[in-house]
Amino acid sequence: MSSTKRPLSRRTFLRGAGALMALPLLERWGSTAHAAEATLAPRRLAVFYVPNGIHMQKWMPSGTGPAWELTPTLQPLAAVKSDVLVISGLANDAGKPDGDGHHAAGTAALLSCMKAFKTEGTDFHAGISMDQVIARHLAQQKATRFASLELGNDAGRGIGNCDSGYACPYANNISWAGPRTPMAKEARPKAVFDRLFGGLDPGTTQAQVEKRRAYGLSIIDFVREDATSLQKQLGATDRRKLDEYFTSVRDLEKQLEALGQEGPACGVPVSPDDSEDPRAKTKAMMDLIVLAFQCDLTRVATFMLANARSNKVYGFLGLSGGHHAYSHHQFVPSNFDALSRIDRWEVEQYAYLVRRLKESRDAHGASLLDTSMIYFTSEIEDGNGHIHRNLPVLIAGRCGGAVGTDRHLRATGVPIANLYISMMRAMGVPGITTFGSDGTGELPGFGG
Amino acid sequence: MTSRFHERRRRPWLVRASAGLFLLLTACKGDSLPKARVLPEPPPAPHAEGCENTSADPGRVTLHRLNRAEYDATVRDLLGDTTRPARDFPADDHGYGFDNNADVLSLSPLLLEKYASAAEKLVETAWAQGTLRTCALDATHPEPCARDILSRFARRAWRRPVTPEEVDRLLGALTLAKQHGDTPEAGVKLALRTVLVSPHFLFRVEKDPQASSLTPHRLDGFELASRLSYFLWSSMPDEALLQAAEQGQLATPAQLEAQVRRMLADPKAHALVSNFAGQWLFTRALDSAEPDPMLYGTFNDDLRKAMRQETELVFQEFLTGEHKLRDLLDAPFTYVNDALAAHYGLPLPGSATPQRVDLSAHPERQGIFGHGSLLTVTSNPDRTSPVQRGVWVLEQLLCSAPPPPPPNVEGLPPPVNPLMTMKERMALHRSLPQCQGCHRMMDPLGLALENYDPIGRWRLHEVSGAPVDATGDLPDGAVLNGGADMRRFVKADPKLPACITEHLLTYALGRGTSEADACRVREISASAEASGGRLVDYILAIVLSDSFTSRRGDTEAQTP
Repeated sequence: MSSTKRPLSRRTFLRGAGALMALPLLERWGSTAHAAEATLAPRRLAVFYVPNGIHMQKWMPSGTGPAWELTPTLQPLAAVKSDVLVISGLANDAGKPDGDGHHAAGTAALLSCMKAFKTEGTDFHAGISMDQVIARHLAQQKATRFASLELGNDAGRGIGNCDSGYACPYANNISWAGPRTPMAKEARPKAVFDRLFGGLDPGTTQAQVEKRRAYGLSIIDFVREDATSLQKQLGATDRRKLDEYFTSVRDLEKQLEALGQEGPACGVPVSPDDSEDPRAKTKAMMDLIVLAFQCDLTRVATFMLANARSNKVYGFLGLSGGHHAYSHHQFVPSNFDALSRIDRWEVEQYAYLVRRLKESRDAHGASLLDTSMIYFTSEIEDGNGHIHRNLPVLIAGRCGGAVGTDRHLRATGVPIANLYISMMRAMGVPGITTFGSDGTGELPGFGG
Repeated sequence: MTSRFHERRRRPWLVRASAGLFLLLTACKGDSLPKARVLPEPPPAPHAEGCENTSADPGRVTLHRLNRAEYDATVRDLLGDTTRPARDFPADDHGYGFDNNADVLSLSPLLLEKYASAAEKLVETAWAQGTLRTCALDATHPEPCARDILSRFARRAWRRPVTPEEVDRLLGALTLAKQHGDTPEAGVKLALRTVLVSPHFLFRVEKDPQASSLTPHRLDGFELASRLSYFLWSSMPDEALLQAAEQGQLATPAQLEAQVRRMLADPKAHALVSNFAGQWLFTRALDSAEPDPMLYGTFNDDLRKAMRQETELVFQEFLTGEHKLRDLLDAPFTYVNDALAAHYGLPLPGSATPQRVDLSAHPERQGIFGHGSLLTVTSNPDRTSPVQRGVWVLEQLLCSAPPPPPPNVEGLPPPVNPLMTMKERMALHRSLPQCQGCHRMMDPLGLALENYDPIGRWRLHEVSGAPVDATGDLPDGAVLNGGADMRRFVKADPKLPACITEHLLTYALGRGTSEADACRVREISASAEASGGRLVDYILAIVLSDSFTSRRGDTEAQTP
């Protein structure tokens, strides 16, 4: 039966055939899971974070409004210029640390706009990030199997201080499910792939799927009871820790309940190789985001090109010093040159994601880019002075018409939280009027 | 120029220099106090006041999720699985310098998903190998055997006795399997998976009889057994330890000491090398070190590995041997293979695997500061960094790290002329008033190591051709002339024992130390030094302290 020609579902993926690149949409699998949202076509958000700021002299476009021109650093976006909105002048004052620690504090506040409490560990907390507000909303709609994907090229270094007395979760996570719950990210493309597509056996029958779900849910029931009785015997701090367990159990439960509710078919993926070369790794991660969006496995993804304060050596760009060391440029021209090369490479990787999405179509036949917002930013503007104003911001994609692209929007001094309010609204989250510590309303001009 | 330090008045000088350094540490920018590090600085004097009267607050450790190393070691000992499944888990964040810090070990949905799928694979593999089947499951009356299998397994996995009710609940899986037309075997496997996803397995649970009481209480035997085994082995208690807990034999200092000595003799104690020393001595950072291939092309993965092995093997000897822990600073032996010996300029031991070599005739390689691992990870890719080396000493050995530089000044200015030494360039940098205070304490320690290049080779000239100037001028005017002076200076610093204690205690407990622990840290280090100052003495002093054997409850969550 499984060998007859019927529409391919996710369960019938053949692993090991085809290429991850160039995935044509094969067929739409009629799905009850998606019937409820026939009115609002899916919208998607990806966040592309780069560390250490940007050398802005070679970034800032010359004109404003529709009369903007690509600068040397933005040149890699030439093919998709009409799909890009550049916003300058946005400020994230919550990213300012107490004393030092600009990278960790800026990164913790990047999407949450909440000040990170300065600690090496005890009582660490920041705020929920906007991608997780959106993910939570979509999870309530049971939109996709995974509420969100958190990806990054770097695992932790595992030694010493992360940044001037700020605990490492601040420097290593931009996505936060709550003030104390950073969303751990995956740093191995192969592991991401296996998570998205592993365990899908072409021969599985409906009865087997149901059994699998029942067994999984029985584990959930059991351990939830364990956690509940344990909770009564713990102090406040321990209970808070256990709350993370409850939240995770709920998420796993939702995934199990969705087992067997097929999403749309989307292609014949093949597992990427694991490589520590940032070029291969970044490309694999971008391909996975495209694939996950195309297969509608998730609609929210965040990606950290490197952890905060990264001192990665970009040898393949002809550079021998570390990124963070260059970012403290001291106005030395050779450092500006090095930074520009790194910045441009970063924008190239972003442009690759944008182009791939533009070429890909979702189950409704729409260009993935037209239904998405692909957000590029960093935790600071200038690395030398650790400036938290005039942050580098790009948004590619129209998100179903919510974003007015092909413009340079000046928003000098406006809290970046206001941009996030607009983005959350564009993603369909209702009732958001304030956000973070200083978000007061939508960003004027966001929609064009 | 040679050895201003040796000639006269060695002891008076040391006292003076230490005092001078201490003064600067407490007032780094001259007028303003340093603000950055949250780590408390242990008081300098061995007999500081106030400890007699402080109430003994053992503190509390937050509900502790197993980190990746602990998960892997635990399933190795529980199931015989050596595939290290946690390699597929997201990296653990770290706090206070260690990735076993309970406060920052979060449990994300992604991680629980990984736990659930790892549990399934682990159980399937172990079941196939027959390691869990203590009896034969009768197809018609499976309960007695299933009960036996599950109660034994849950006791070990949860590191405590299980109640009959808990086993009854687990047996419910057999009924579910039956409903789905599966064998009892499938039901038992499902229950085994459940055990591995339970919070009792994933977390190290320590209960407070009264959750909100601040009155300290002693941990129960099983909780203490877990603290011991995760401290020394990064893993679950073995049968001997569990039985000792069951029989109340972890109550006296002598019993605890016997366990500690037994456990340190076990190969599983290597976890202290990879997990404690790997983070304390920064060996773990070697993986991501990227020396400039143009300038330092001789650095390769074989050397990387040999350097890591060198530090690990030396530390291993401190774990098992009779060395005083502070001799790490000038140990007259090391472990090198031919490649690393050639790199160091030592006689080749004639082996591709590391051999123990005597360094009596090579003082420049004695101690941790002669290790390529540490010298490499505290360098920039293209040059040495006396600042990073100095900060490492202050942070990891003296717990007196200065604040990081203010904005707009970080970085070394380029040489005004090509033949400027590193010391001259740094002096230029230090001429900025906002840099001066802190650099006066960091720079001398790092500059004294200038004879080691960014990959740890001995050198007399910098890359520019300038002759190396390895003198570090201490704030009081005394001069450290090269690595040997620097080692002696640090080794004699009275803050060293307390600082080692602080790092070891942070690791042992999985929590950061606070002001409230200052007296305990001092007592532990004094006791360890009095017993001989070996690593085992430090470990014993920690294990026997109230901080390790007790905990207290928690008032309602503070909202900082």
